[in-house]
Amino acid sequence: MTRRAWFSALLVVCLAAALTFLTLPVVAIFVDSTPGDLIASLGEPGALDALWLSLKATAASIAIILVVGTPAAYLLATRSFPGRAIVVTLIELPLVLPPAVAGIALLASVGPSGVLGGAIDAAGIELSFATAGVVVALTFVASPFYVRQAVAAFAAVDRSLLDASRTLGASEAHAFLRIMIPVALPGLAAGTALALGRALGEFGATLMFAGSFQGITQTVPLAIYDRFSTDFDSALALSAVLVAVSAAILLSVKLVRGGEALGIAPR
Amino acid sequence: MLRVEARHQLGELLLDVELAVKRGECLALAGPSGAGKTSLLRVAAGLLRPEQGRVDANWETWLDTERGIDVPAEQRRCGYVFQHYALFPHLSAWQNVAYPLRGLTRQERLARATELLERFGLAERADARPHTLSGGERQRVAVARALARGPEVLLLDEPLSALDARTRAVAARELGGVLRESEAPTVLVTHDFAEAAQLGDRVGIIDNGRVVQLGTPSELAATPRSAFVADFTGAVVLTGVARTAPSGATRVELDGGGTVTSTDAAEGLVAVSVYPWEIAIEPAGEAPHGSAENRLSAEVVSITTVGNRVRLGLAGPQPLVAEVTVASVERLGLNPGAQVVATWQAAATRLVSV
Amino acid sequence: MKRVWLVVLLSICAGACGSDDPERLVVSAASSMTEALEKCAPRFGDADDAEVRLSFAGSDELAAQIRQGAKVDVYAAANTRLPDELHADDLLTQPVEFATNEFVLAVPKDSDIDSIEDLTRERTPLVVGSESVPIGAYTRETLARLPSDQEKAILANVRSNEPDVKGIVGKLTQGAADAGFVYMTDATAAGGALKAIELPAKLQPQVTYGAGVVSKADQPKLAQRFVEGLTDGDCAGALEDAGFGPAP
Repeated sequence: MTRRAWFSALLVVCLAAALTFLTLPVVAIFVDSTPGDLIASLGEPGALDALWLSLKATAASIAIILVVGTPAAYLLATRSFPGRAIVVTLIELPLVLPPAVAGIALLASVGPSGVLGGAIDAAGIELSFATAGVVVALTFVASPFYVRQAVAAFAAVDRSLLDASRTLGASEAHAFLRIMIPVALPGLAAGTALALGRALGEFGATLMFAGSFQGITQTVPLAIYDRFSTDFDSALALSAVLVAVSAAILLSVKLVRGGEALGIAPR
Repeated sequence: MLRVEARHQLGELLLDVELAVKRGECLALAGPSGAGKTSLLRVAAGLLRPEQGRVDANWETWLDTERGIDVPAEQRRCGYVFQHYALFPHLSAWQNVAYPLRGLTRQERLARATELLERFGLAERADARPHTLSGGERQRVAVARALARGPEVLLLDEPLSALDARTRAVAARELGGVLRESEAPTVLVTHDFAEAAQLGDRVGIIDNGRVVQLGTPSELAATPRSAFVADFTGAVVLTGVARTAPSGATRVELDGGGTVTSTDAAEGLVAVSVYPWEIAIEPAGEAPHGSAENRLSAEVVSITTVGNRVRLGLAGPQPLVAEVTVASVERLGLNPGAQVVATWQAAATRLVSV
Repeated sequence: MKRVWLVVLLSICAGACGSDDPERLVVSAASSMTEALEKCAPRFGDADDAEVRLSFAGSDELAAQIRQGAKVDVYAAANTRLPDELHADDLLTQPVEFATNEFVLAVPKDSDIDSIEDLTRERTPLVVGSESVPIGAYTRETLARLPSDQEKAILANVRSNEPDVKGIVGKLTQGAADAGFVYMTDATAAGGALKAIELPAKLQPQVTYGAGVVSKADQPKLAQRFVEGLTDGDCAGALEDAGFGPAP
């Protein structure tokens, strides 16, 4: 009986430690400054620019990821072909790449001296020091988070639903849009949330690939880094906003997944 | 008219079937699981392409492997009812039913779907999502959906097996009505012979990828062509050695002891089959009476009530099953352990050479 | 199972109570000193039976870490302002000036830019340090000495405010920028990839490096020896080899 009590106590201690470790830094962000100071720091133009830029760039990269990644995930989930395992591994690779390595990888491929650098330049596309470059960096690091979840979500859809759709006269494209996506929606939403969180927080690859300039490439994480040594309050305020946004993302995913518990995806 | 021919290797099983179903007819394929029934339906629907095969539906050729014709499933006008219904979980009942309706306005689709749901008694559940419907209701939605655009051919995969026993009886009657109304040639597969007999105009027994016998339910029950068919149709099957008796009838020495007489002709090793409802029970020790020639002593080991009938499991030299009324059980005071005599007529005894 | 616990306990002990371990010296230094200090610090460590932990970043970031209570023994910055500020707040002992550096305009080696005036041309992507990092402050100080229309034109070409000088060098060697303001030592360290354009004397800022022992250092004596070595020791030699100038 004592052994069991010891073990339970140990479990509680571990949970308490984990909880404290994870919540204290977040709570401290809000405790260190008065709300008034935080809001005032947010008002200064650099902070607003950073927030707006992060919003735009993240939205653009998520849009690209959804439009290109969803059909790709569908293909991976529903068809088997030679080399499929390799394709899956390649797509998941950026997941395990440290952001700095991702930055190097982008520079080496689509950077000005990169493999495709000349072609990109010739096409008149500017990536360095441009918001487009930020979008490229965010898309690269965030897409595996979405694609992986999407593949799992599509693979979990009952195949007989697709068969039924075919016997009822629907083309595969119709079934993809009207059956697969709605039924897989909770999983797709979870993947989107993960990708969104990753894109919002991206720092290293963006800095190396696109640079840091207010309003053009200085996203919120870069702005926080720029400020923390001289204007800690401003850094705190931006961090608080990012925490709030991340919490909102998590919450909305929970709500969408709530539909999953009922066996349906909400319309 | 639906004609399906298919030869296809499915793992260890070789599917080799040829069947023809007339307009207005329902062919029920009954067989154990793994016999290839579902695969056959999938071939007809275009969800499985056989190595060799041909599917002709009314005036169209949907599949001809020799000539390289393979009309995709979405272009074949099949109504397919899946074993677990495959209703779209995010759509309401009427939206499910309206799914195959193309080229109509939303109003028109709603109207047609509601009309169908009314026919199935589900009009008030039109807006309900599948997970809120009962098993029986879901089954009806699935059938309505398959019929929505007036298919050329109707295919049903175990349409009643996912239902509980009570719902199944009602659903079977309803489905029978729907099938009789429908003009489309229908193939229905099931593992339950009784269901096949109730819903099918003709029944095919399928085992190991081949149709071993095809005919009306009573033909199959009365003249099973093999021990498997006899067993599958619910008969009691005994084994023994047959010899023609001087009277012209056949006498069979049963393995384990006992003799039975049959009006069928056979020699050598045979399977003897008789249906449980043709077996009468007498208490042991009474003098024989009646014209039933066959008599076997046995002990009652189980008594199971099925509706208003009772199935008696009997242990003799070989096991037997008899079906009698509840009243008879009470009258004879039957309990497990009671010694009885099972009797039945020689004319009801089928012999199949093994 | 018991044996596992024993091993775990022993390793924790070994990690925590290492009285026979060499002493550890934590040095925070401006990133422009990366190459030089990485060469001399191990030699210092061997000579004094110590393990030197180097941490390179923008001087402002390192100062902020010390303010937040980071356990650092030596702070070496690319200017004197930051060490003086820390000293004024009693976080650093009296800093010493130990080296100078030259502030230059760096361009890719095959560039046709050869003076600061060329930077006023349109479409000349320029990378500089952010305002709070010394290289950024020196840059703005220098540009402020130019006629105001030139200053404006050049600032309009700025495409990135990097948090430290290595980021500027990176953008130049990658071919993303046409020019950047760095230290001479960084231009040299980039091998032959960059060309350093020296600025007219009247524009050049005084780039003096200052260092000091952090007040709450764990190893004050060792830290003091390291700081002295920066002016007159092995590390001073390494800095000179890398192109730093002697203390003023």
